[in-house]
Amino acid sequence: MTLSLAFTLALGLIIVLSVFGLPMGLSMICASVLYLLMRGQDMGIVAEQFLNGMYSNYIMLAVPLFILAAEIMNSGTLSERLLRWCDAVVGRFRGGLAQVNVLQSIVFAGMSGSAVADAAGSGKMMQHMMTQDGKYTPSYAAALTAVTAVIGPIIPPSIPMVLYALIADTSIGYLFLGGVVPGLLMAGVMMVQVAVTARVKNFPVEKPVPLRELPKMTWHALPVLFMPVVLMYGIYGGITTPTEAAAVAAFYALIVSVVVYRSVRFPDLYEALLTSAKTTASIGMLIAGALVFNYVVTVENIPHSLSGVLLAWDLNPITFLICVNILLLVLGCVLEGTTILLVIVPVLIPTAQALGIDPVHFGVVVVVNIMLGLITPPYGLLLFIMTRISGAPMKAIVADVMPFLFGLILALIIFTFVPDVVLWLPKMFGYGTSAL
Amino acid sequence: QDKPVLRFSAVFSEQDIRAEMMGLFSGQIADDFTLEPYYGGNLFKQGTELVALQRGNLEMGNIAPQDISNQIPAWSVLTSAYLFRDAAHLRTFFDSEVGAEFKQMAEDQLGVHILGPTYFGARQVGLRIDKEIKTPADMAGIKLRMPGGDAWQFLGTSLGANPTPMAYAEVYTGLQTGAIDGQDNPLPNVENMKFYEVMKQIVLTSHLVGYDLLVISSEKFNAMTPEQQEKLQAAATVAIDFSQQAHLDREAELLVRFESAGLKVYEPDIEAFRTYAQQMYLDSELAKDWPEGVVDKINAL
Amino acid sequence: MNARFAGIGAWLHARAENLLAAMLAVMFTVFILQIFFRYVVNFPVGWTHEISVIMWLWMVLFGTAFVVRDNEEIRFDILYSAVSDRWRRVLVVASAVMLIVLFGISLPAVIDYVMFMKVEKTAYLKIRFDWLYSIYAIFAVATIVRQFWLGYQAIWGKGTEEYDPTKVSSGV
Ligand code: NA
Ligand code: NA
Repeated sequence: MTLSLAFTLALGLIIVLSVFGLPMGLSMICASVLYLLMRGQDMGIVAEQFLNGMYSNYIMLAVPLFILAAEIMNSGTLSERLLRWCDAVVGRFRGGLAQVNVLQSIVFAGMSGSAVADAAGSGKMMQHMMTQDGKYTPSYAAALTAVTAVIGPIIPPSIPMVLYALIADTSIGYLFLGGVVPGLLMAGVMMVQVAVTARVKNFPVEKPVPLRELPKMTWHALPVLFMPVVLMYGIYGGITTPTEAAAVAAFYALIVSVVVYRSVRFPDLYEALLTSAKTTASIGMLIAGALVFNYVVTVENIPHSLSGVLLAWDLNPITFLICVNILLLVLGCVLEGTTILLVIVPVLIPTAQALGIDPVHFGVVVVVNIMLGLITPPYGLLLFIMTRISGAPMKAIVADVMPFLFGLILALIIFTFVPDVVLWLPKMFGYGTSAL
Repeated sequence: QDKPVLRFSAVFSEQDIRAEMMGLFSGQIADDFTLEPYYGGNLFKQGTELVALQRGNLEMGNIAPQDISNQIPAWSVLTSAYLFRDAAHLRTFFDSEVGAEFKQMAEDQLGVHILGPTYFGARQVGLRIDKEIKTPADMAGIKLRMPGGDAWQFLGTSLGANPTPMAYAEVYTGLQTGAIDGQDNPLPNVENMKFYEVMKQIVLTSHLVGYDLLVISSEKFNAMTPEQQEKLQAAATVAIDFSQQAHLDREAELLVRFESAGLKVYEPDIEAFRTYAQQMYLDSELAKDWPEGVVDKINAL
Repeated sequence: MNARFAGIGAWLHARAENLLAAMLAVMFTVFILQIFFRYVVNFPVGWTHEISVIMWLWMVLFGTAFVVRDNEEIRFDILYSAVSDRWRRVLVVASAVMLIVLFGISLPAVIDYVMFMKVEKTAYLKIRFDWLYSIYAIFAVATIVRQFWLGYQAIWGKGTEEYDPTKVSSGV
């Protein structure tokens, strides 16, 4: 596999520009211009690929809408009410607040597609609850919030899975289902780890919320707890497409916040819209940059050449998956997740296909890897966010994240080697059961 | 010594019969040209190939007639329901005098030279519900997924259905969950996308003969010697013949397979559908752009 | 004088923010309408698709050109955030120069493409594509101007903005 001079220089330019701090999307557009220039081709193709790529990818609209849904949930008191309910349920056990942190993330994951939204939404309050009166160290509380936020996009809905469906041409509906068991498995691993640590380190026991108050509290939190059900029923009950479900999520969160809890007023709604639109612009720019550079990659026939090289090595699917896991975990330490998903993963997909790896299985493995990249130093978005929120030094947070990271990698190994952990639920819903 | 390169972009996949067709084509012209094919819409997205050709970023393409009618309104007649009876009628038309007029329009207004129509199957209605369909009246209220855009949606209306736009990638789950009641695609697509798994019946409406156009940019074509042009055209015809027959065989084979898989497969009252649809088209805005008497001329071929 | 310019700038930025938020509100609303029409009224509509895709495209280009600040963009900043202010200024100038050159060279071809699209119209609302796509040309010009400004600031102005990870939301 030999790379042309134009392609090598374009690749070099992306690296130089992004290391120099230019936004990734713009770096990729610049590199594409350089390539077309050197090839003597129409540089208008940059605009053509950007515009037509964005205009024709309808399913991507789920991204801004899921972001909006999360913003509305966080600006209303939905996240807060959810936390209180979780406290009433699992707060009574040893290390109760730590378990609350996990449970809260599971429920939040069922409504939101973004890990960053979970950490940013519940992080501040969780941090306050866990560290007041010195119950937990700030770094442990921050580490736990970062780690639990990881399952947000693994349990459906999920923005990274929407992006994966886009590049791999797989069904979003089945991908979502594929994430359910792995997400719960990962949460289970965390709960076990918390329980064990709680005994070893003698974590505090909270004053339990009287059990007779539980029905009332559940009633108050019901609209929030009901949201994952509404979403899943919408998608799998034939009311909405997965893309439209994103709008339903935002709509439901809005109605609950405005009508039921009366906690969101117009200025809050405006803030939520603006923040979401800004995030949309910045992630959209990255998506578009990847679409433009993908033209260059296609002209150079990179995915096929790479697939040829890898197949010639006679890799079996398992070895390939192990290599992908290692590659993505290493890249996750230095690169931002969306970039890996949109730039690196498309190059790997043809090989995965040729090796007969199930696209839904591959998609879930890839997304889990990318989520782990959010908590691996030096570059981990969730670590940055929790450093900022908690004020604890990043080094201390990283030290507390490490045991959880090993637990999560263990879970990743399990569903890398046992595809049925991922595929069992999609198959229940009719995935891959061809009648012919 | 470097042979001129013909970049070709199409939305069908590398495993499609039409990719085989392009292989056959490129083999025959290999002495003079190198065909550089890109499949799966990887180079240019669906519907954007025509502009890419016009701007010289592509030499060859497999263009939908709907894309041409976007720029030449008169062409919309060639995308109307029940115009062509079958693949043979379609070919007859493009070899006829009327056909030559339409090809000339594309040549003059778009700068693309049409080598021939590539048949990919007749569109049939596939439903997830049990209701028996005999006439357009039976289609009333049925949410039939059609590709996006006024022209496609009108096709659904002309069948008496309630046309619903939905992204192609979402159709399977849409059928499975009941967000839509049905879709209209040629049988090979129904097989490719596994729609049959979530359908109960196929109504053989054959309402539209599905085809694209194998085209080359006029600029490139006119720069060739007459011998090269002839050779290229002959190669295209051979490849198109092969692909057309392969699709016809596949449709026949799939009918049997779908039936044995338990789907109800039957023909409705085609005449009722044809009359209803042709009348709807003639009464529509679209027909204003059609050349005088063209439908009659094509019917008579 | 400078204060007045800053005032006008802030006012324009706030209006651009209003517009950007409105685009998302429109996208959200038409999505809800679309579900309502299909599921409740059994009268599926398609124009909603078109409006939401247009909003998506414009949000990204308009937002990047006029609203999103540089330290809110997704970027790789391990080196950028680690070096001294002096070196950071050098990096900013270097990347600004490269971007201006490449965006500048491609600008005529980009505008040519956008203008060529007058031959096509959208499927439902029949909007001419050259109008619809003109936002790309605006984005390209705005990006060049912004990089000139960033380069100018790096050489003569105050220090570059500190990196703030909580402001970056990549959506994952
Ligand atoms: Na949490
Ligand atoms: Na989720």
